[in-house]
Amino acid sequence: MKRRSFLKGTLATGAAAVAVNAGLLTPSTVLADWNKNAFSAKSSDDALNSVFGSASATAEGDVKLKAPAIAENGAVTPVTVDATGMSGVESIAILASKNPMPLVCTYDFADSALGYVSTRIKMGETMNVVAVVKAGGKLFKAEQEVKVTIGGCGG
Amino acid sequence: MSIKIRMRGKSKGGVAEVKALIKHPMESGVRMNKKTGKPYPAKFIDSVKVSVNGAEAVNAQWSGAVSANPYMAVQVKANAGDEVKLAITDNTGETGEETLKLK
Repeated sequence: MKRRSFLKGTLATGAAAVAVNAGLLTPSTVLADWNKNAFSAKSSDDALNSVFGSASATAEGDVKLKAPAIAENGAVTPVTVDATGMSGVESIAILASKNPMPLVCTYDFADSALGYVSTRIKMGETMNVVAVVKAGGKLFKAEQEVKVTIGGCGG
Repeated sequence: MSIKIRMRGKSKGGVAEVKALIKHPMESGVRMNKKTGKPYPAKFIDSVKVSVNGAEAVNAQWSGAVSANPYMAVQVKANAGDEVKLAITDNTGETGEETLKLK
């Protein structure tokens, strides 16, 4: 009798643990897909190394980066990266050089998409916005300084 | 509760610019609550996927440094009548989805 109830107890807790695991699994599998190393990197080079495996990008490509020269509100800085003039664009990464974690976002493109991204990002202070484009296995970048008059990370 | 998305898009010469506005706090997990001295817990969209007629076209990963209530625009090869789907997930596992039939 004791053994029976013991077994029942372990089975019940076991099932509960499985359920909890299943519940927790959804966000953690998503995170596995998410490049945690790159996004928690403290420097642009580290972030680029973990996204592309290299941090050396040339400025020779046809990467058009559009960002304001002065952002009145750093919390909503519009940034557009246009690499539609290049062929074989595989991915685009946007970085804010002096943010505590510089990598803002990465975009991977299939053949059915063009190398174009427009978004809005948070910037804590005056710094460079960097767009890195991977096309045909090579890295290209464009950089622009944005003066921030009100910070975006302290509120 | 799923995340709210508004989408617009129009095809022109086989290329469609798809724009989306997403309603989300995008809390980075770094911002401090001055009253308690502790950071607000992170809640930001980390995955955005755009597909055309069921085939994945763009796979984006975001950090908390994307602005609150994010705006996003991408260009995909699609014609009028094609279905563009946007699927997003945040770091807490909350999801949102929106489909748009291109004009």
